[in-house]
Amino acid sequence: MIQAILDAVSLGGVYALAALGLGLVFGVMRLVNFAHAELITVASYTLVMTHQFPLVVSMVLSVVVASLMALLMELLAYRRLRGSNPATMLIVSFGVSVLLQKIYELVFGALPRSASVATGLTGTFTVGGVSITTASVVTIVLAVVILLAMGYLIERTKLGLQLRAAASDFQTARLLGVRSNRLIASAFVISGALAAVVAFVNVVGNPQVDPRFGLDITILALVGIVVGGMNSLRGSALGGFIVGAVLSLLNVILGNGRVYAYSWMFVIVIVILLVRPGGILSKFATKERV
Amino acid sequence: MTLLEVRDLRAGYGKVDVLFGVSLTASKGELIGIVGPNGAGKSTLFGAIVGTVGLRSGSVFLDGEDISGKRPEDIVRRGLSLVPEGRQIFSGLSVIENLTLGLTGRRDKHGEKGALDRVHDLFPVLTTHRDHQAGMLSGGQQQQLAIARALVADPRVLLLDEPSLGLSPTVVKDVFDRLIAIAQSGTAVVIVEQRAHLVTRLAEQTHVLRAGKVQATLTKEDAADEAKLTAAYFGNSGE
Ligand SMILES: Nc1ncnc2c1ncn2[C@@H]1O[C@H](COP(=O)(O)OP(=O)(O)OP(=O)(O)O)[C@@H](O)[C@H]1O
Ligand SMILES: [Mg+2]
Repeated sequence: MIQAILDAVSLGGVYALAALGLGLVFGVMRLVNFAHAELITVASYTLVMTHQFPLVVSMVLSVVVASLMALLMELLAYRRLRGSNPATMLIVSFGVSVLLQKIYELVFGALPRSASVATGLTGTFTVGGVSITTASVVTIVLAVVILLAMGYLIERTKLGLQLRAAASDFQTARLLGVRSNRLIASAFVISGALAAVVAFVNVVGNPQVDPRFGLDITILALVGIVVGGMNSLRGSALGGFIVGAVLSLLNVILGNGRVYAYSWMFVIVIVILLVRPGGILSKFATKERV
Repeated sequence: MTLLEVRDLRAGYGKVDVLFGVSLTASKGELIGIVGPNGAGKSTLFGAIVGTVGLRSGSVFLDGEDISGKRPEDIVRRGLSLVPEGRQIFSGLSVIENLTLGLTGRRDKHGEKGALDRVHDLFPVLTTHRDHQAGMLSGGQQQQLAIARALVADPRVLLLDEPSLGLSPTVVKDVFDRLIAIAQSGTAVVIVEQRAHLVTRLAEQTHVLRAGKVQATLTKEDAADEAKLTAAYFGNSGE
């Protein structure tokens, strides 16, 4: 029971981080970056390929690689699309996603690469007679620390202020001197770093990295930002958390019926969206359009 | 000393041309008016000056430096600020956050505190509402915030697009008094106004823009002459 709750919170935390990464980029560019999945994947490959290094080195490398990849995406693919309509950008991001999957396949092969990363985290320990997995606790701590750090960055720093301003009205932010190229690049770099954190947690839980490793979590995190409210970072993170936690709980509750966990989760998602079409934390009442 | 010089500016959106060769200048301490009917191209002219609307030809000089075609974030750093039509304050952010964003466009990062103090003196209401959400301010307070947010960048040239929009007469008078003070402190102030009389009485020169061209330029004295103003506004017939 306690383990089930811890698992739910930790999976929720991971999805919150993934959703936050997506939400940051969406905020400044109105781009749903489907290729966020490939940032998670490349960070995961980095962890696996460098597993013989000290863990910290390996983690830092994965953050650097994912951030650089995010920066490259922005420079090579998305920069030209600024101000295009969101559908165009979404399609291009699908393209980037597929292209990168193929590149990973060429470089690393289609079969999973595996290596035990952070073996210290795979065990369990007992508290008051209850056995608890180390991974779930470490994940929760990591997620909380990163979420708090992100909260500080967004609410308390100049960069965060500029990100919030640009998310609500980029043109006016530029008129005030906000450097668009620099700000968008920063959003991508941060989203890459968040992807690396997500990758770390995932690789510890399942060190079988294949070219599509980051896809599922990204799709679910996308569901999360819609559920939480795309226009607010808090909403994105909350939505990601809900999706992750609900999915994790459903897996326990449904027992043998867990193959239907996704179906039930989407039922819940649809109900939430029927009640709050703009997402849970949407600031604006959705205007009547019909 | 000429701070802003616009030379034969042509600009538009996509295939549509809106401005057909507009020229004007504004000097240090001067207040310049631009009036004209809806769709004349007033906001487009400001957009072309600050870099949000693409130029077809012509040029913009800021204190002698050619800034034509530069990006808005670079232009504001050189000392030209726009208070856009409809204020465009960040309604979800607090008053002080809006002002802090305005500091982004400063060249001199040391004077930030002083700049904030000055606008707080000029617009005391912003001090009392410092931590309020900007969207909760009244229209007049929001307009003051929009002006203050541009001023904290210490612009040498300040453009204002319809600062009187939606304000009651007393508030308008208040805002214009402040604008006069800002001009007197050495800033070149250019004001677009729908309500011509607000600006013609104050401005050294008022340009009447119609169909993307300056149709007439009036001095303060001309503006007192009702017939002349009407003629300029509606074309030669004078109606
Ligand atoms: N973003 C845009 N895209 C295409 N055309 C535009 C755009 N903005 C303005 N226009 C067109 O340019 C012309 C001039 O518009 P502009 O906003 O400059 O007029 P204005 O003089 O500021 O009018 P108002 O007094 O109503 O503010 C209009 O015909 C308008 O339809
Ligand atoms: Mg206008």
